[in-house]
Amino acid sequence: MDFLNVIFNILTSALPCCLLAIGVFLTFRLLNFADMTAEGSFLLGAALTAACIYNGLNAFLATILGMCVGVLCGILTGVLNRVLKIPKLLSGIITLTASASIALLIMGITKPGDLFATQIPLASSLAKGSKIQTIYSTFYPWNEFNRLVEVIVMAAIVLIVIVGVYYFFGTEYGMAIRATGMNEKMASSQGINTTVATIACIAISNGLIALAGALYVQDALSVSTVSATGYLVIGLSSILIGEAIFGKRSFKNWLISVALGAVLYFTIITVAIKLGLKTEFKSLLYAVLITIALCIPLMKQGFKSLFKKKEREDNHARA
Amino acid sequence: MLELRNVTKSFNLTGAKEDLRVALDHINLQIESGEFVTIIGGNGSGKSTTMNILTGVLKPDSGQVLLNNVDVTNMNEHQRAAYFGHVFQDPMMGTSGDMSVLENLEIAYRRGRKHSPFLWGFKKSHKEEFIRELKRFDLGLEDRLNQKVGVMSGGQRQALTLLMATMRNKPTHKTVKKDYITFSEKDHDVARKEFESVYKPALTEFKKKKHEIRNNKSLSYKEKRNAIAEAYEEFDKKVRQFDLTKQILLLDEHTAALDPKTANKVLELTDKIVKENQMTTLMITHNMRDAIKYGNRLIMFHTGHIIFDVSGEEKAKLTVEDLLKKFDEADKKAVEM
Repeated sequence: MDFLNVIFNILTSALPCCLLAIGVFLTFRLLNFADMTAEGSFLLGAALTAACIYNGLNAFLATILGMCVGVLCGILTGVLNRVLKIPKLLSGIITLTASASIALLIMGITKPGDLFATQIPLASSLAKGSKIQTIYSTFYPWNEFNRLVEVIVMAAIVLIVIVGVYYFFGTEYGMAIRATGMNEKMASSQGINTTVATIACIAISNGLIALAGALYVQDALSVSTVSATGYLVIGLSSILIGEAIFGKRSFKNWLISVALGAVLYFTIITVAIKLGLKTEFKSLLYAVLITIALCIPLMKQGFKSLFKKKEREDNHARA
Repeated sequence: MLELRNVTKSFNLTGAKEDLRVALDHINLQIESGEFVTIIGGNGSGKSTTMNILTGVLKPDSGQVLLNNVDVTNMNEHQRAAYFGHVFQDPMMGTSGDMSVLENLEIAYRRGRKHSPFLWGFKKSHKEEFIRELKRFDLGLEDRLNQKVGVMSGGQRQALTLLMATMRNKPTHKTVKKDYITFSEKDHDVARKEFESVYKPALTEFKKKKHEIRNNKSLSYKEKRNAIAEAYEEFDKKVRQFDLTKQILLLDEHTAALDPKTANKVLELTDKIVKENQMTTLMITHNMRDAIKYGNRLIMFHTGHIIFDVSGEEKAKLTVEDLLKKFDEADKKAVEM
């Protein structure tokens, strides 16, 4: 039972981060845009969804609202960068900074009499007998064994998103966005409005990240300004690990690699902690993991050239 | 027809006075459709600036850009892209390296058209057309459609860019109508009536034919489909006679980064394509022999002015020595001034 529990733990934290990783991937890899907004839209998505659910709104509606707030963040960053010509990194940081206050304001909804709040504890209000519902519990009533349902619902959403993203980036406009990210001059000379294409891609990316936040909060049942930070790093490392291990031969392959990267990332972390690593060392482990992931392509090359050298020598000997 | 009227462009307008550089100084230039113009001139003489102003990458400080007598000065690059094919000096510039040959061609196929976020971007019929076009290039690219462009050689990339810039991207009937009304020299209402007097009967005729074919029970499904396609082509042809917007090809030293053999091959290809499609072409080159060999008009730029402009027989008689002499004269004049 313990083994199953570990697997469920891994999957429930990894599956939302698959969406996060795909979202970060869309800006980081396709647009070549290091988008700091991710951190803010994850928090905002989580906060808004939790606040809506806390106030008894339908869980699906709450999730969609959470996603929309991410889209808005993305549009803001895009407009700052493309229309007001603020450098990429800075425009992301501006949105990120602004979103911290907005998140406090949103979380304040749950605290009557106070304008701001630093957290929403859904779990404790549930314990008090409140009949709030998350998207997982709408499929299955609250129960200690509903982890399976949770995983299935999450997996279904992740699958839908992967297929959707794959389809969208294969459509006429999706291809235009990819061309914009890879070679803006070419895209522009081919009649693509690069400003709109960039903003659209950032918006989609942040929508997915906020959706990840919404899924995360309905699993964790609490959100605070502290617990919802550090997710940009998780997204980035998932991308790096996925690419290094599963490859990036084609767009389809790349997308799946990124999603699997998130799962692998959480597997490693969870296993390490289960094996007795102190949680205080988690950050150190992150750093080591990212370094290893970044070195894998080099190591692969090293192995290949080693083999080739041997082959050459063999051929030489035979000749 | 393409026209520059009194165009001036300076760089570093806001900086210190010593940094101000006038790239183009009241340039007037008219290019008739179907002309193949070669442009020569020293570095910084304003050749590339002219091209960038034509495509809309740069906006002139003053003056106008006219396309078929319509002022397009304030149009952005992507809005004009339907009418211009641009091949850059840098082979990396004209294609997207991380995308496959097929994807690059699909993007070029939709140049200047709306990109739908719902329709799948690849079509079988397009693929067949691409393979047919690539075969003419004789570079073996037709077997490598799914390969990423980034791994190809500069010559192959430049040839691909050339195809992307010249590919006949058929505008929709709606666009044909819009362009005919805005770009024809006739009055707008007259043009609209003229277009519709042909379009409407042709459309009803096509619909009637389609109906007949559909109800013809002696035909198999495949035969019906072919017959309908034939009828459509006939209808399409009638509409296309109004297609005014012949594409303009801009070549910005597109062979400069290639080795002599590949450069020659790409140039031959260019000449072939231009002649076949009767495209209006502007070609910047530093190679005077090429400038004389290709095209039917030659323009020489010097410090933001056009100092020499010949066409027809006079151009055919030119020699490299003549051109060098012209350069020297211009330099002397500049020193005297």
